[in-house]
Amino acid sequence: MTPLEQLLLVVVASFLAGLAGSYLGVGGGIFLVPFLALGIRVDLPVAVATSLIGVIATSSGAASVYVRDRLVNLRLGMFLEIATTLGAIVGASLAVLVDPRYLFLLFAAVVLYTAAYMALTRESAKDRAYRPGRESPLAERFGLSSIYFDHEDQGVYRYRVGRPGAGFAASGVAGALSGLLGIGGGFVQVPAMNVIMGVPMKPAVATSNFVIGVTAAASAFIYYARGLVNPSLAAMVIVGVFAGTHVGTRLLLRGRAQRIRFVFVVLLAAIAALMGLRAFDMAVVP
Amino acid sequence: MIGPRTALLAVQRRLAALRRAALAEVEDTNRLVYHVLRGGIVVSVAFVVFAFLLSVAGAGPLPEAPVNVRSLDDELARLTPAAFLSLGVLVLVFTPMVRVVASLLSFAEERERAYVLVTGLVFANLLVGLALGLA
Repeated sequence: MTPLEQLLLVVVASFLAGLAGSYLGVGGGIFLVPFLALGIRVDLPVAVATSLIGVIATSSGAASVYVRDRLVNLRLGMFLEIATTLGAIVGASLAVLVDPRYLFLLFAAVVLYTAAYMALTRESAKDRAYRPGRESPLAERFGLSSIYFDHEDQGVYRYRVGRPGAGFAASGVAGALSGLLGIGGGFVQVPAMNVIMGVPMKPAVATSNFVIGVTAAASAFIYYARGLVNPSLAAMVIVGVFAGTHVGTRLLLRGRAQRIRFVFVVLLAAIAALMGLRAFDMAVVP
Repeated sequence: MIGPRTALLAVQRRLAALRRAALAEVEDTNRLVYHVLRGGIVVSVAFVVFAFLLSVAGAGPLPEAPVNVRSLDDELARLTPAAFLSLGVLVLVFTPMVRVVASLLSFAEERERAYVLVTGLVFANLLVGLALGLA
């Protein structure tokens, strides 16, 4: 493969990562790291650093569209960013101290449980509707509950954010994972909002896209300063990802929440399987 | 004398005005965030494209490693593709940080203490990350 062909391949792969990342709220790092490391045999630290750039690009590209269309819950996002950035710093600092094998096993279990839960529950218009009763004091204090317009059924939904404390803790875990593995942590962030906090799928995906940019930026600068970012690869990733988010955001806005959840569950199951294999030293993915 | 009907109307008008103001506020922060993110994308891609044009024009090869932040201005002055590619990447990396600062200022202007605190904490965390990177 000539260098030019390789760069073109990176653009195509980044396009797909940006598309899937903006559609699922996961940033695309979990697709880019394996592609760069295994597909075109870039050194793992360089692959992680370059993929972090891709995560930020997905976040900026997707979040700008979702913010414009009022799908992002800005307050909830900023509230959770405290936890994710803190987690990212702690994760990056602890990366050398913990045996990653136990981490992988633990997360495989958690991710598998989440996938099963999301597969077994449905999200109908009725579930999205406003639930009566008292709001939690923390959610009320920070004005976390919000409103969004769903293209699927042309409905405006007011939703309540429940269990902000638990969601905050889960976001801290997402941030720590991000710091440890060089990903955005969206695959924890989306279920944290959708399953724990009761945020409907579309705002959850949009808000996750909004948050992961800041989470990734916290560690991206560290990688850049260490000289691990390959600017030529990163440039291809940026261009490809932006084009991908252009398509992915459109798919989400018009898509059906149930289908997005289904694709997300498939992704979670795949991640759980890979992490489980990794825990038993059968590394398929770095 | 003000009758109950007029009083009720006045209260309703006041509430409607408040609601509009609250909506306008949300609108402002939304718009600000949108422009910061879009701006970051446009500037970043512009630098990247410029770097490619420079490289095609024979100003130098495409780099493997990033240009050190300390020597960036020097390289930029010499119009090397490596410098402009690195600048494009740096603009992208700093976009989320600028977004946090912009929303911090926006919340300060609206005197929303709780969210000044929230965005302030996020910014502080980012600065710690940056400091760890430089250390």
